[in-house]
Amino acid sequence: MKLPRPNLPRPRVPEEPPPGPTRPEFWRSPLRGPWLTSLLGSVLLPLVIVCAVTGFLSQASYNPDLGRNSLLPSGGIGADLFFFTWPTSPSWIYALNQGLHVTSGLLAIPILLAKLWSVMPKLFEWPPIRSLAHLLERASLALLVGGSIFVFFTGLLNIQVYYPWPFRFLTAHYYGALVFIAAFALHVALKLPLAWRTLRDRGVVAPLRADLAHTEPEPYEEGHTAPLEPGPPTITRRAMLGTVAAASLGAGWIAATQAIGGPLRSLGLLGPHSTKIGDGPNEFQVNKTAAKVGIGQAETGAGWRLKLSGASEAELTREQLLALPQHSYDLPIACVEGWSTTQRWTGVRLRDLAAEAGVPEAKSVLVESLQKGGALRQATFAANQIADEQSLLALRVNGVDLSLDHGFPARIVVPGAPGVHCTKWVSAMQFEVS
Amino acid sequence: MARWRALYGASPLHLMAVIASFAVAGYAFFRIFDTPTALGFFVWFGAAIVAHDLIAFPLYSLLNLIATRTLGGERAREASRAVPALNYLRIPFVLSAFALLLFFPLILGLSADNYEGDTALSVGVFLERWLGLSAALFIGSALVYAVRVRRAHVDARREAEAGDAGGGDDA
Repeated sequence: MKLPRPNLPRPRVPEEPPPGPTRPEFWRSPLRGPWLTSLLGSVLLPLVIVCAVTGFLSQASYNPDLGRNSLLPSGGIGADLFFFTWPTSPSWIYALNQGLHVTSGLLAIPILLAKLWSVMPKLFEWPPIRSLAHLLERASLALLVGGSIFVFFTGLLNIQVYYPWPFRFLTAHYYGALVFIAAFALHVALKLPLAWRTLRDRGVVAPLRADLAHTEPEPYEEGHTAPLEPGPPTITRRAMLGTVAAASLGAGWIAATQAIGGPLRSLGLLGPHSTKIGDGPNEFQVNKTAAKVGIGQAETGAGWRLKLSGASEAELTREQLLALPQHSYDLPIACVEGWSTTQRWTGVRLRDLAAEAGVPEAKSVLVESLQKGGALRQATFAANQIADEQSLLALRVNGVDLSLDHGFPARIVVPGAPGVHCTKWVSAMQFEVS
Repeated sequence: MARWRALYGASPLHLMAVIASFAVAGYAFFRIFDTPTALGFFVWFGAAIVAHDLIAFPLYSLLNLIATRTLGGERAREASRAVPALNYLRIPFVLSAFALLLFFPLILGLSADNYEGDTALSVGVFLERWLGLSAALFIGSALVYAVRVRRAHVDARREAEAGDAGGGDDA
């Protein structure tokens, strides 16, 4: 018995594309083609991997399973994804993570834009949908293009503390990234063989050697992006890619200088934290001034007390804290926005305060600030963070009292922890046994 | 298998990969859907889908078309201009515009209150620095262009002189 023929969908669109960008002869650039796209893609791939891995690690660094640390809406799968305790060593681990995250992101943006340009004819390919597989792939590409621009630009505006949107940055950046990474992984799986073949056949460097007179278009193939009727070349491949590389390295430089800090900071040009404040002991980069969060002399003056609780309760004045054993360490304050600054902090060890509260083996501590509002007016630290000898309730910095902007009367400094957890203007610490 | 391909258009592995990818993306969208600002997210995400392909691309392509038609390529060569000015204008322009695209909130002071409250730094420096960067890019490009034009002139003159010396018999 003969099997019935599969019921193929009949083409409902005309076979001949309408005039305009759907026709292959519309696209004239002699540089556009699979080689260019493959080269840009293979540079983008490691950058996106670094950016994604450090992004998810950044989420883990908050120890989101503790207290109210998770900044994502509750109820996600494994809050989302991570359950391991963030280490305290090396002390610059968070500075490195965020430096890599922001630097790889900024390096990637120009390459992403060049890559989007290089595949423009695909948006208008004819017929628009060839099969179910093609339809699904195009839907995924919409998520890839939208996801990439959404994630990179929300991150970019966040480091400039500019929030023109109604949603919470962190939630949107995180879930936007999940959409982007899902579409990105599919795209890499589907396209890597083509990119590999193209670069193997044409070489990585060979097409860069040609001067303008020898800049030949890539051969036209139906369904690919090389032009059917190329115009005359106006720029060599090396000059075009050199411009993209200059933009990428320039953006990466801006991010790297403020991640490393120190003398490099002032060379960061357009970096949000590239301006040196001064040379004084308290003149280093600030995240959230006292004035902004409405903290002044009234709350931080002689009436200030640190409320300690655990097995017992105590209220300590600043003088009483200064009378406890003091320790000094060089530790970085590293911001989620990718900048960091290392200073010499002096204060009381968290583990000494735990003993003071009657719970020397504390499993966690909830630290609260005088700050009235905001999800980050409090933070919870894990047992390893309390036990580390370098974890301090700092009272002084670089040999002088903390300034109000740096958290006077007392602030937390925990090695390896996110800067926003290094709570300023500490008012209470609640140690928990379990 | 052939019937599957005719029906679907790719291998079954393709479909599995697509479904896995959509499942993760779908999870993320559902999580967003539960937030009070979900609509805002989807509007911005939608805008991000079209931002380059349907808005930025037509605009910068038009600028490039105008620049190419007036300054570059064949026409410049026909006009016996040895060095087309196109790229000496286009490259610094692209780099300067890119710096603005990345850092426009600081350069234009859009987040001034937030930025100055957070950092205790002045936002005003960024416009100056961007203008300085742009000036440096265009001046650098102009210098390279001037050197290339000069060299082309010298080469042309030498060729002409060599041509005169070699063509002495014709005189």
